Amino acid sequence: MIVRSVTLGSFRNYAALDFQPSPGLNLIVGRNAQGKSNLLEAIAMLGTGKSFRTSRESELVQHGQSLAFVNGVAELSHGSVTLSCRIVSAGGVTRKTYAVNGAPVRFASFLGSIKVVTFVPADLLLVTGPPSLRRAMLNATLAQERATYYADLARYAKHLAQKSAYLRTATSPDPRLLATYNALLAELAARLLLARARYVTQLTRAAAAIHRRWIPGGAPLSAVYHPSPALRDYAAGEAELRLQIGAALEEALPRELARRQCLVGPHRDDVELLLGELPLAQFGSQGQQRTAVLALKSAEYAVLRERTGEAPVLLLDDVLSELDAQRQEAFLGSVEGYEQAFVTATALPALEIGSAHYVVEGARLSRIR
Amino acid sequence: MPSIAGPVQSLINEFAKLPTIGPKTAARLVFYLLAQPRGEAASLAEAILALKDKVRSCSQCFSITEDDPCEICRDPRRDPRLLCVVAEPKDIFALERTGVYRGRYHVLGGLISPMEGIGPDQLRVRELIARVGQESPSEVVIATNPNAEGEATALYLSRLLQPLGVTVSRLAYGLPIGGELDYADEVTLAKAIEGRRILEK
Repeated sequence: MIVRSVTLGSFRNYAALDFQPSPGLNLIVGRNAQGKSNLLEAIAMLGTGKSFRTSRESELVQHGQSLAFVNGVAELSHGSVTLSCRIVSAGGVTRKTYAVNGAPVRFASFLGSIKVVTFVPADLLLVTGPPSLRRAMLNATLAQERATYYADLARYAKHLAQKSAYLRTATSPDPRLLATYNALLAELAARLLLARARYVTQLTRAAAAIHRRWIPGGAPLSAVYHPSPALRDYAAGEAELRLQIGAALEEALPRELARRQCLVGPHRDDVELLLGELPLAQFGSQGQQRTAVLALKSAEYAVLRERTGEAPVLLLDDVLSELDAQRQEAFLGSVEGYEQAFVTATALPALEIGSAHYVVEGARLSRIR
Repeated sequence: MPSIAGPVQSLINEFAKLPTIGPKTAARLVFYLLAQPRGEAASLAEAILALKDKVRSCSQCFSITEDDPCEICRDPRRDPRLLCVVAEPKDIFALERTGVYRGRYHVLGGLISPMEGIGPDQLRVRELIARVGQESPSEVVIATNPNAEGEATALYLSRLLQPLGVTVSRLAYGLPIGGELDYADEVTLAKAIEGRRILEK
């Protein structure tokens, strides 16, 4: 898919911007704090409806304004789509509204209208960083692919927050209310677990193939899903998994009551990366870890493309400069069949890339090639 | 800027406290009232005071009423075998507009939400159990909102009520009537598929 136009109003440091990107690779160069990442953030929002940089979305609205918007037109493999996201921030409350082809829609229907794969410097910690990064990696793809995954995830988070609040605040917790939350959580957890297990299977296959091409004969890269509770047999199906998760939640209840915390469930899932038999986080060199991250990101792109039949828009925010020329080339070469990419850098990269070059200076974008 | 007369400003401030009313709308309402005859203002003021003086909670269903018990609880034509549980009195008005439901109601006074400090003890759950024991309805219909809190409250109540030997049902989730399938969002559609029903022969 190709983003044909992006229009911003009062978004971050952009008072107004009308940008017609090119197909292929758009290279955006500029010093820090000129608006490179803000532009990528806006494009990502057209796909995910959310900022990839902040959860405090009032920051998205330009200082002194109360309404910001991101509009875009994208060309899909069949037809085109007009997307609009408005962010209203007033009186300490920030609300977003969405429209597809001019008609207002809910977040769940907006999400995934165009697919994006983002790669930001924080992703370089995928192997060694906290599990939340790896869960976010799973969620990014699965939520864009299916609105029902996002809905399950959001409902899971809601029930979990309520159960946590109850564990934290109730003086004598009602076991029937806890059993109620556990039943609701087990139902959603079973679906999340199945979706994640299937995705990791596909991701590890794609990542291993890319890694093998880069390092022929080296120890194979693999990603292993560690769900919470630690179940192994997913083949039994959703109903059976729900029972097993329900039993694990019941078993964990005394510990949860003692610690006043939710200790079991997909909010505790992790994905472990192995090189051969060895966990990369403990035993990999920095170079090996970095190569694994690149293979994973490239695999993420390949799987989302395969699953949706559309070539996602690739967004690389300030990551190329973190990579040597050889890795830059290997990574861009491995992302197969992308139709459009946006790459930001503080200086022209060592590599000769890009079908269009832009410079950003004080929220003004000008094409230099 | 010259300051507005004191009584004008204070009524603007009062109106602006109401839900969905901002300072601009509040000012419009106040200037409208200012242009009306005194009688209009008096009847508005009386109506507002009557709201607090005359409206009370029904001792049986906890809906709002002028006379206790409320009109619905007093009505002998209401089917005593059906009891519908709602979160707020306003939900009764929505359900009554359908004219389809002929049973009685029970108002919980909210939904279970520990994040907002609302557990079962803060709602009229104990009263519901007592009513089911006394009135022995054959079915309790739970009509809570289709959001996370409504869902948790419904499931919690069903776990409490089922051991008492009463049938517990919940309103269906699904497609709006007169709508088109391809306009429904995926989540609603998925729920409608889950809740599909067999057509009668």
